[in-house]
Amino acid sequence: MSTPITLKPAAEPATGDSGPRLGRRLTGFMPLIALVALVAALAIADPGFLTQRSLTAVARTAAPLIVLAAAATLIVLCGGIDLSIAAMASLSTVLLALWLPHLGGLATPVVILAAAAIGAVQGVAHVLLRIPSFIVTLGGMSILSAVALVVSGAGTVRVVDDSTVKWLELYVGGYVPMSFVMALVVVALIALTLKLTPLRSWISATGYSESAARLAGTPVDLVKIGAFAVSGAGAGFAAIMLVSRQFSGGPTMADNLLLPAVAAIVVGGTAITGGHGSVWRSLAGAFVVTLLRVGLPIVGVPSAYEQILYGVIIVLAVTLTLDWSKVSISK
Amino acid sequence: MSVPASTPALEVRGLVKHYPGVKALDGVDLVVRQHEVLGLVGENGAGKSTLLKALVGLVVPDAGEIRVRGEAVKLRSVVDAADHGIGMVFQEQSLVPNLTAAENILLGGEGPGVRRGVYRWDTMRRLAQEQLDKIGSTIDPMVRTDALSFADRQMVEIAKVLRIEQRSQHPPVIVLDEPTSVLESKEIETLFAQIRRLREFASVVFVSHRLDEVLEVCDRVAVLRNGRSVGEVAAAGAVPRELHRMMIGSTGSDDHYHENAAAVVESGEPRLAVRGLSGSSFKDIDLDVAAGEIVAIVGVHGSGREDVCRALFGAEPVTAGEIRMDGKQVKISGTRAACAAGIGYVPAERKTEGMVGPLSVAENMTLAKQRARCAGPFVAPRKQAALVDRWIERLSIRTPGRDTPIQRLSGGNQQKVVLARWLVGGDIRLLLLDHPTRGLDIGARSEVYRLMRELAASGVATVLLADSLEEAIGMADRILVMNDGRVVSEVACPAGGKPSPLDLVKEML
Repeated sequence: MSTPITLKPAAEPATGDSGPRLGRRLTGFMPLIALVALVAALAIADPGFLTQRSLTAVARTAAPLIVLAAAATLIVLCGGIDLSIAAMASLSTVLLALWLPHLGGLATPVVILAAAAIGAVQGVAHVLLRIPSFIVTLGGMSILSAVALVVSGAGTVRVVDDSTVKWLELYVGGYVPMSFVMALVVVALIALTLKLTPLRSWISATGYSESAARLAGTPVDLVKIGAFAVSGAGAGFAAIMLVSRQFSGGPTMADNLLLPAVAAIVVGGTAITGGHGSVWRSLAGAFVVTLLRVGLPIVGVPSAYEQILYGVIIVLAVTLTLDWSKVSISK
Repeated sequence: MSVPASTPALEVRGLVKHYPGVKALDGVDLVVRQHEVLGLVGENGAGKSTLLKALVGLVVPDAGEIRVRGEAVKLRSVVDAADHGIGMVFQEQSLVPNLTAAENILLGGEGPGVRRGVYRWDTMRRLAQEQLDKIGSTIDPMVRTDALSFADRQMVEIAKVLRIEQRSQHPPVIVLDEPTSVLESKEIETLFAQIRRLREFASVVFVSHRLDEVLEVCDRVAVLRNGRSVGEVAAAGAVPRELHRMMIGSTGSDDHYHENAAAVVESGEPRLAVRGLSGSSFKDIDLDVAAGEIVAIVGVHGSGREDVCRALFGAEPVTAGEIRMDGKQVKISGTRAACAAGIGYVPAERKTEGMVGPLSVAENMTLAKQRARCAGPFVAPRKQAALVDRWIERLSIRTPGRDTPIQRLSGGNQQKVVLARWLVGGDIRLLLLDHPTRGLDIGARSEVYRLMRELAASGVATVLLADSLEEAIGMADRILVMNDGRVVSEVACPAGGKPSPLDLVKEML
């Protein structure tokens, strides 16, 4: 009885404040506010920023990050984290570049499936051996990086005939990059699947309270393995976007996307402790991170400072989301 | 400064505390005399927690005053309270499990036990022993606390709290917040002996949901209702019903356990038949439960009854034995398999295991039986709304709506949602209830009992791990006694022919 919840009267549930608290509402809009502020700031700093050309460039840059972050969000919602996504994407670029000459158009789905399978293997290790996800994927990151180096011969693998991935470089309506459209499709697909099926309940229950979820008969293990598989597939798909843009695969090509992807998730407001959040938030977070990346040179900050910025915003964003969501959970 | 014996050790006058939307304390008066055990009772939400927190400086009241031995004080922290000789043994224990009892007792106040940043283990042992001696405990101060039983850890906590004697020259006031809620009968007796001992040199505030216990150990009982003091009684000669009436503001029902509504137990093939079930903490369990029957398993802490319950739900590994449902052998490989077999489980820890706090009432209610709210692979919003609303009405769950996060409901209503989770599928055959009324106030308990009767009447078989022996006797048709991992006896428990608690206790020990 000395639980925090008794602060609410026992007899009469508080009908007055059934909506989210102001603070929660604010964090809900936080990524959007940050986004608008960033766009405004960049537009002021560089009047040329709001032109079709530079916006197209931003969308193109954002695409692989959106896919990476959205897919990995599922693991965060389950209460875990996937540190292997960038290494997985790098390896996938190499595999795609190596397999394109042999498999042609099939190479794309095969690479995505292979990445999903590797992700699922990490999920199985996490679930069966009961190793924290961050350890499993930290090990996975190291292993996948090494494999990428070995199979690529530690060098860039050039793609001679890129006809099967070139479609991603087309522009819808002449302006909107196809890769960006595909990224949005991925986000929408994941979001819709969650919204329309029991998966959302299962994932949030797992993230908020795994033991409660398990004792309610939720397929916790399958949900987690599935989340890892989707995260892997996302990395595979991001790799295809990278290859289509660079005409090559490289063993470290996507490595610098890990921090931005994690930053996108937490800046979006998905709680790193699991349960609370959504893939839409990660989409907004990915925009914020991309604008920062693109914007720093515009306002004259050397790109070397970029990593400092990621570090700071990850810690800040987690502090904010942690605080706010805990307030409403345990106050 | 000497204080006359008639001055109260602790006095609370007109204490008020608001939280947004709630008046947790609405002018509470309370007097704790010297060398007195004062009981404090009230339903959930009556303000007990807030009052206790105010006494130990965890909550700063908005108005009113707290006087210690006649002197008005402001308590802003636990340290403040300790300086005035007020200490609390918390309901959720506060010991660090991987430290020794001595380290825990002296934590933050090692004094000469630490020299130049290094433990002096002999001094530590001696200092800790002094504290343990005060309560006559035989616990070895050098043993790690995670190796101690819950009851022993509680003794360590009391020894730890008594350190406040060093901070104040006066007899201390010790607050015990629901100290008996997870103790078994024998341990409770030990605790009560301890409390009587404490009275020799301290004042004690004792909080419990179990009114009979409160009357047994206390000198005087104060009753809170809706944040106000509604009266007090001398414990000698008082009966629980009198307290209960003051707590809820009216007389409780005579038939607390709804024994009139007891279901007819179906004969023939038992609903659940367990043979030779063994696991890490239980062995060779045989258990039959018929449709419509409520079987209670009783036993002291460590008897293994909780593990049997979890094993039946696939949440605890089983090494041998077989389980039959309606004559058909089932393999309970995990919680999913148990659900599919029509088994439902209500865990003892409602807040961490029973419910997912931030999720809505609807999501919590349909978590186990997704098919009930889905059309094909998709959630059907209308179907869900109709289903959930129907059950909210049937169980009279008080919630602003189906989309309200379950954590905003009161404990009793939360528990009803957790129970409903197993009912919405319409395929429930066996319910495993692990302390289903733990932490609920009397009104909510009564409703849970009524629900259990209704379910039994509809043919559901129930295994009950009761919160108290009285509850087991009141609710069960049959009682199994477990001791040290085995079923040691079986007692018929029909309405009108109930066994006495004492008979059961003999079997349990």
